[in-house]
Amino acid sequence: MAETKEKSLSDEKPKPRVRPIVRLGIFLISHSFHVSVVCCTAGVLALFLLPVLAKNTYISENALMPGSASPMLSNQHVSDGNRLVKDLTNPNSKSSETGIESHKIIAQYMLDLGAEVSFHKFHPQMNQFHPLHFFSSPDSGKIQENYSCSSYGINTVGIIRAPRGDGKEAIVLVTPYNALKSGFGEALSLGIAYSVFSLLTQVTWLAKDIIWLVADSQYGEYAAVAAWLREYQTPKFSSLSAPNAEMCPDVNNLFELKGHSISGSKFSNSFRRAGTMAAALVLKVRDQNEQFEDTISIYAEASNGQMPNLDLINVVNYLAVHRQGLRVNVEKLWSLLNSSWLKSLGEIFESLAKVAKSLYPKWKFGIPATEYVEGTATLASSLYYQALGVPTGPHGAFRDYQVDAITLEISPKFSLDKVWRNDILLRGGRLIEGVIRSVNNLLEKFHQSFFLYLLTSPSKFVSVGVYMIAFALLIAPLPMVAASLYVDANSSSKRSKGDSSTPSAITDTDEHSIAIRSWRWLNSAKLVFIVHLWGAIVSLLPYFISQIPDCSPTTSFMIWVLLSILSLLTLNSVLASPLACAKATQEKEWALVKSVTISSVFIGLGLMSVINFATAEIGALLMVPMCLLAQPLKLDVRAGTLRSFCRMICNLVLGHIAFPPAAFFLLKGMLDGFGNANVGDFWMWVESLWAWNSATYLFIGMVQLPCWVLCISILFHTC
Amino acid sequence: METFINPKSLFHLLLLPCLLLYSSIAYNSSPVEAAMHTNNWAVLVCTSRFWFNYRHMANTLSLYRTVKRLGIPDERIILMLADDMACNTRNKYPAQVFNNENHRLNLYGDNVEVDYRGYEVTVENFLRVLTGRHETAVPRSKRLLSDEGSHILLYMTGHGGDEFLKFQDSEELQSHDLADAVKQMKEKHRFKELLIMVDTCQAATLFNQLQSPGVLAIGSSMKGENSYSHHLDSDVGVSVVDRFTYYTLAFFERLNIYDNASLSSLFSSYNPSLLMSTAYYRKDLYKRRLEEVPVTNFFGSVMETIHTDAAYKALSRRNSGRFEDEMSLDQSVHHIERRMLIKVNDGYEIHDINPEGEEGASKCPWSTFRNKFQKAENVDSLVNYGLVAMIPLLVISTWLVQ
Repeated sequence: MAETKEKSLSDEKPKPRVRPIVRLGIFLISHSFHVSVVCCTAGVLALFLLPVLAKNTYISENALMPGSASPMLSNQHVSDGNRLVKDLTNPNSKSSETGIESHKIIAQYMLDLGAEVSFHKFHPQMNQFHPLHFFSSPDSGKIQENYSCSSYGINTVGIIRAPRGDGKEAIVLVTPYNALKSGFGEALSLGIAYSVFSLLTQVTWLAKDIIWLVADSQYGEYAAVAAWLREYQTPKFSSLSAPNAEMCPDVNNLFELKGHSISGSKFSNSFRRAGTMAAALVLKVRDQNEQFEDTISIYAEASNGQMPNLDLINVVNYLAVHRQGLRVNVEKLWSLLNSSWLKSLGEIFESLAKVAKSLYPKWKFGIPATEYVEGTATLASSLYYQALGVPTGPHGAFRDYQVDAITLEISPKFSLDKVWRNDILLRGGRLIEGVIRSVNNLLEKFHQSFFLYLLTSPSKFVSVGVYMIAFALLIAPLPMVAASLYVDANSSSKRSKGDSSTPSAITDTDEHSIAIRSWRWLNSAKLVFIVHLWGAIVSLLPYFISQIPDCSPTTSFMIWVLLSILSLLTLNSVLASPLACAKATQEKEWALVKSVTISSVFIGLGLMSVINFATAEIGALLMVPMCLLAQPLKLDVRAGTLRSFCRMICNLVLGHIAFPPAAFFLLKGMLDGFGNANVGDFWMWVESLWAWNSATYLFIGMVQLPCWVLCISILFHTC
Repeated sequence: METFINPKSLFHLLLLPCLLLYSSIAYNSSPVEAAMHTNNWAVLVCTSRFWFNYRHMANTLSLYRTVKRLGIPDERIILMLADDMACNTRNKYPAQVFNNENHRLNLYGDNVEVDYRGYEVTVENFLRVLTGRHETAVPRSKRLLSDEGSHILLYMTGHGGDEFLKFQDSEELQSHDLADAVKQMKEKHRFKELLIMVDTCQAATLFNQLQSPGVLAIGSSMKGENSYSHHLDSDVGVSVVDRFTYYTLAFFERLNIYDNASLSSLFSSYNPSLLMSTAYYRKDLYKRRLEEVPVTNFFGSVMETIHTDAAYKALSRRNSGRFEDEMSLDQSVHHIERRMLIKVNDGYEIHDINPEGEEGASKCPWSTFRNKFQKAENVDSLVNYGLVAMIPLLVISTWLVQ
C-alpha cells in the first residue's frame, strides 16, 4: 500500500524536489541585504555583549591544587633575601663598568645555597625583518657577524635539582636585572626570588628542577631571555662558541675568577640545563607606584596573540587574591573607563537584565554597569594586545617554545620602611612559592584549561566558543552577498542582451554567450589577484627600505608610500590595463569585482581568525562594512535619493578609516591624544610588528590593504 | 544415641566419637558444611593513581590497618594500590603516608604487604583476583584462595560515576563486570558472604546489577551525589582521607577484636550531614538480619573454627598434660602427621590408626562433643553417615574379639 502510494506521489511530481538546505541558501542569497544588516548588527552587538557573557575562571586541572599547602617561606628566608638586596644596592657593587660585580654577588649567593651555577654569555641579536622567517621557529644557527666584546650580556643561572625527582622537568623563575642601572625595584625582585630559592633548596617535595635565571636586561629583557632560551632549547654543537669566549678577556676573567675562588663547588663554565620547562614565571617589581594597595599585574600575551594556559593565570590569581591579599590587575584601556557611552550601554544591559530577571527569575546574566565598563576596557586591551601580536614582556620568549609563561609585576605601595620591605618580600615570596608548588604538582603539560580566551577581569574570561560567535556573525554575510552580487551581475547582463537580440538569435548564440558570461568573473578575479600581488610586494618593500642607512622613520615611510604607488601603477599598466579597458565598458563590472573582493576578504579573514583571532576581529570590524557598502559613487550621485546619499557618506568615511595608516593614527589619537602624532610613528609601528614576526603585519599588507584598494577602485568606478 | 551402641563393649563406645572426629575432618570441604563460616578474606583496592589522589591510597591503607588490627592475617588480605604515594617525589614525608593531618599514624610502616601495585592494578587483574582465574605463574600470595566458608570484605575506592569505577585513569570497572565476577565467585563457591564497600562518587550505582545471594553492599553516596574528602593536610598539601572512610575508621577505632558491634550499628553510624552524601546499603541479597551480624564477621577474622579448633585443642591438651600419659613430644608430632595422612587419604587406613585414635579420643572431654552436637545441627546427619560406615567395622571387630 505504502509503496503504491509513494509511486503515485512520485508520478504526480516528476520534477525533483529541491533540498531544504539549497532552498535555504537561495532564500538567504535572495535576501542578502536584510541578512547582512541583521548579521552585522548582531555581530557588533555580540562583541559588546562579551563582558556580560564572561564566565568566572576556575582551576580546571585537578593536579594543581593551588593553596592546598601552607606556605613554608619564613622570616629567615626573607632576611636572606633582604641581605642580597642590601648587597646589591650597596654602591660598592656598582663600581665595575660592566656590572660584573653584581653578577658575582648573585652567583656567590646561589652557590652558598648549594645550587648549580653557571654564567651564560650572549650577544644581543637585533630584531630584523626576515621575510621568510614568519612563523618559523627561532633559529640557533643564525650567524652572528658583527658582535664585539663590548656588547655582550651575562645571564646568571642557578639550578636546584629536585632531590628525589627524575630531572626531566623544570620550572623557570626569571628576574630581569640590569647591573648597570638597576633600580631598587629590580633589586627587590631579586630579593624575592632569592628568598624563594633559598627555601626551595631545603624542601623535600620538589618533583621538578628549579631554574632561576637572572636575565641581564641591559639589552632589553626579552633579548636576554630569548638568547638564553635559544641556547637552552637548541644546543650548538659547533666549536664556534669556544673561540668567542676566548676573544673577550673580560668574560674569561670572570669565569676564571669564579673557578679559582670556589674550587670544588658546583660552579660550571659550561651551559647548564635541567628538564623540559613546565612553566615559567617572570618576576618584576615596579619602582614607582601611585596605587594605594599592593597590586600585582599579570601580563600574558605572547607573540601573535598566543596566550599561556588559563590555568596558570588562575593559579596566580587565586593565590594572590585568596592567600596573599594582593590585588590583581590585568591590562586595561584606561581611556575607555571614563567613556560615557560605554557607561550608558552598560546601564542598558543592566536594566535589560533586570527586566529579564523579573520575567523569569532564573535568568541571571546581568552585571552592574561599572563592572561592565571595566570588563569592556579589559576586554578591549586584551583584544588590542593580542591583535598587535607583540609580546607584552619577556614571557613571550617562552611561548615560542610552547612553554606557558607569564610576567608578574608587583607594584607595592612605595615606602622605604624596613617593615614594609619585609612584608612585600614575604608576600611576594609566598606567592611565588605557592605557584611553584602548585606547578610542581602538575603531572603533564598544562592542557586542561583554555589557550584561546580573552580576559575581561583577572577572574573572568570569554572562551573561544563564545567570542567566535561575534566574529562568525560579522563575516557570515560576506559569502551570501558575494553570491547574490554574482547572480545579479550575470542575470542583469543576460537581460540586457536578451532585450537587444531576437529570439532566434538567442538560441543560436546562447551556449556560446553563456560560456563567456560564466567566465566573466575571471577578469575581476585577475584584478583582485593583481592587487593582492601588489599587497605582497608592499609587504616586502620595508625589508629593502630598512637596508638604506641613516634613514629617519618619516623618510622611510615616505619612500614606502611612493614605491607602493609606483608599483601599483606599474602592475596595473603591465598586467591589468589591456583587458580591463576592454571590459570596463561592460555593465555591472563593478559588481563582479565587488563579489570577488568580498570572497577574497572572507577567505583572508577566515584564515586570519585561525592564526590570530583578535586581528581578524578588529579587521572584520573595519573591512566588513566597507566591503558590503562599497558601490560606485557615480551611481549614488546619479540616484540622488536620501538613501544613496547616506550610503555615499558612509562609503567615504569608511574609505578613510579603513586605510591602515589612517586607522592606526585614529587609534593612536584615541588612546594617546592627537597632539603628538607623527607620520614616522606608523613606520616605527610597522617596524616593531615585523621585528616580532607578527602575523598582523602580513594581514595588513596582504588582506586589508588590497581590500581597501579594491573598495576604493569600486567607489571610483566609471560605469 | 547410646541405644544404638552395643553396651557389651566399652571399646566400641570409645571408638565412636573418635571416628566421628575423623569423619568430620574428612568432610571439612564438603558441600554439606557450606554454611559454616570458617575464614575471612579482604580485598582492598585503591583504583586511582596520581599525587592529587593521595587520599584514596590513604583510605585503602587505613582500612588495611584496621582489618589487620581486627585479626585478618596478611596472607588473607589482597591489597591493591594503584600508585605509590609514599615514594612520590612530591611527598614531603618520604616513605610515609598519613590519613590525618596530625601525622600521628604512619600508615606505610614496616608491615605493609602490597600484593598488586602500580600498573598491576587493572580491571583485568582485579577480576582475576575475584574469580580466581590466574595464570599458573601467579604466586599464592596474589590469589584470593577463599572457599565456600569464607567471608570476604571487598573495599574499593577511587573515582567513579554512574555504574562505573575508574581504574588508573584509563579503564573502567562497570557494575555489570562486578556483578558478573561476584556471580562467578558464587558459582565457584568462593565465598559464603561478601561485603562490598565502595567509597566513590555515586557508589550506590555500582551495586545495581548484583544478583548473587549472600552479598551485602554499602556505598558512600547515592546516585547523583559526590563523595567528598574529609580534610586537607596543609603540610603535605593534599586531602588525606575521604569522609565515608574517615567515619568508617572512626567507628572501628572504638572497637577491638572481641567487640560484638553489629553491622547495623556501623551502617547507622553514618551521618549524611557529616558525610555530605547519603551512605547507601543494599541488603536484599543478604539473608541474615544486620542487627545479628557482628562487624567482625567481615572486618575481623573468624574466632571459632570448630574442627580445626577441636583437633588442635586435643593436641594442646595432650602436650600440656604430658604427665598424664607420658607420651613424648615426638610421638605427638608423629600423631599429627598420621592424622594429616588420614585427612588426605581415604578411610581405608582407619584400621591402622584405630588404637591411637582411641587414645586420642579418650583425652577428649565428652562435654566438648556435646556442645558441638548442640551447636551444629547437621552433625546429626554426620553421625548417621558415620554409623552406617561403622557397621562393617563393627562386624569385623566383634569377629576379631570373638
